[in-house]
Amino acid sequence: MAQQNRSFKHEEEQLLVDRCRQGDRESFAQLMRLHQKQIYNFTYRMLGNEEEAEDLTQDIFVAAFRGIRRFRGEAKFSTWLYRIALNQTRNRIKYLARRDFFARQSRRARSTEESPWENPELLADIAPTPEQWTLTKSLATQVQKCLNQMGPQARQILVLRDVQGFSYDELSEMLSLNPGTVKSRLHRARAALQKCLADKLE
Amino acid sequence: MECRKYESQFNDYLDGDLSLKEREALQFHLRKCLSCYRKWNSLQKTKEILSRLPNMDPPAHLGAVVMARLKGRRLHKSQWPFDYLPRWLQLGVGAAVLIISLTLWQVLPPSFSFRSLLPGQGNNLNISGPSGQPAAKFTSRRGGGQTTVPVMVLRVKDFSRADRELESMLRSISGSMLQEREPTRSLNSSSARLIDLKVPEQRFSHLLRELHKIGHLDQSQVELHRSANPQKQKAISLRIVVVGNGSDVEIHQLRK
Repeated sequence: MAQQNRSFKHEEEQLLVDRCRQGDRESFAQLMRLHQKQIYNFTYRMLGNEEEAEDLTQDIFVAAFRGIRRFRGEAKFSTWLYRIALNQTRNRIKYLARRDFFARQSRRARSTEESPWENPELLADIAPTPEQWTLTKSLATQVQKCLNQMGPQARQILVLRDVQGFSYDELSEMLSLNPGTVKSRLHRARAALQKCLADKLE
Repeated sequence: MECRKYESQFNDYLDGDLSLKEREALQFHLRKCLSCYRKWNSLQKTKEILSRLPNMDPPAHLGAVVMARLKGRRLHKSQWPFDYLPRWLQLGVGAAVLIISLTLWQVLPPSFSFRSLLPGQGNNLNISGPSGQPAAKFTSRRGGGQTTVPVMVLRVKDFSRADRELESMLRSISGSMLQEREPTRSLNSSSARLIDLKVPEQRFSHLLRELHKIGHLDQSQVELHRSANPQKQKAISLRIVVVGNGSDVEIHQLRK
């Protein structure tokens, strides 16, 4: 049943892609609705900033629309879209790093770090018990900080595999690397993150 | 030593890539080794935290903004006729073309012109000098000293017929002006011939008219030569290269 659903989804997606290749913008809007959340979350985890993530997501979809005729259906549409996303993200990280964006962001994060106890409204909204919220929020912030400190290669592989749940085969296709290289890079990245989070994990 | 072996299996264990036997052995080790258990626990938590990071909703206006940005934008049209081929094949074709071009560039003489390979392009035959610049004059080594004579290229469809017509025409103009005629090279289907002439000035225009009747004549070099030497001459020395269609003979070959 699940397989049937997947195949239906794939066929539907292919139909949308075909229409899109003819220049149908409404089909592209539908494709975007299917993938925008995943792409937005990927860019957010890669850049650690919502505004930049939004901007980059826009650029990714604009580039995808412009290049849709180059998509020949050899890979899944999502794989092709992620290839564009990876490329654009790589370029954006280089661009932002040249402008000292990440360093400024981490300085700002340190100075404005908000204790959950100072904002009880947020507390009530997000979690039933303050303890649980503190754990999640502070850890999530710390994880994002650690991700920002890592190299883009390690960051992207962690986000794609452990945050977004892509398989090794999909990763290998997206990154044009053999599965062995993907695995070893992922293991190194996990070890780096583990080290960065060491005091929070105990 | 044993701990290191099990540590190296942690990631595969996390990803569910261990065999049942390996998994059981690792689980057994983790129960008895506190140090490994701590490392394993920390790695497991790291992965767990990543998978539980909140999935954020993109801004509601994202789709509308992208669609607004796409207004007026065209789909990227393929500029490349082989776009339907896989990218690796396109690169392969590109590399092959580059290699062949470089090889030809090295192998072919500098005076070679690809334009002469095109059918019906007789008037574009390669009449360039050794360094590639147009050679308005042809250097002849006949008679000891070096003299320069202009070259006319006559491209004909039927070489043997044209050759006969040419011979009778030249005789009718003047027996004495025909200085030399020699076969230069025979090819399978067509030939090329080189004729050195000395034409009296007053018969020159008549010769041109007759040559135009026989085939396609490129007389630009002669015109150049005459404009470069405006003083009246009793006779004009020139060389006619007769080339049949389909002949691959090049002017630089006839020169030798």
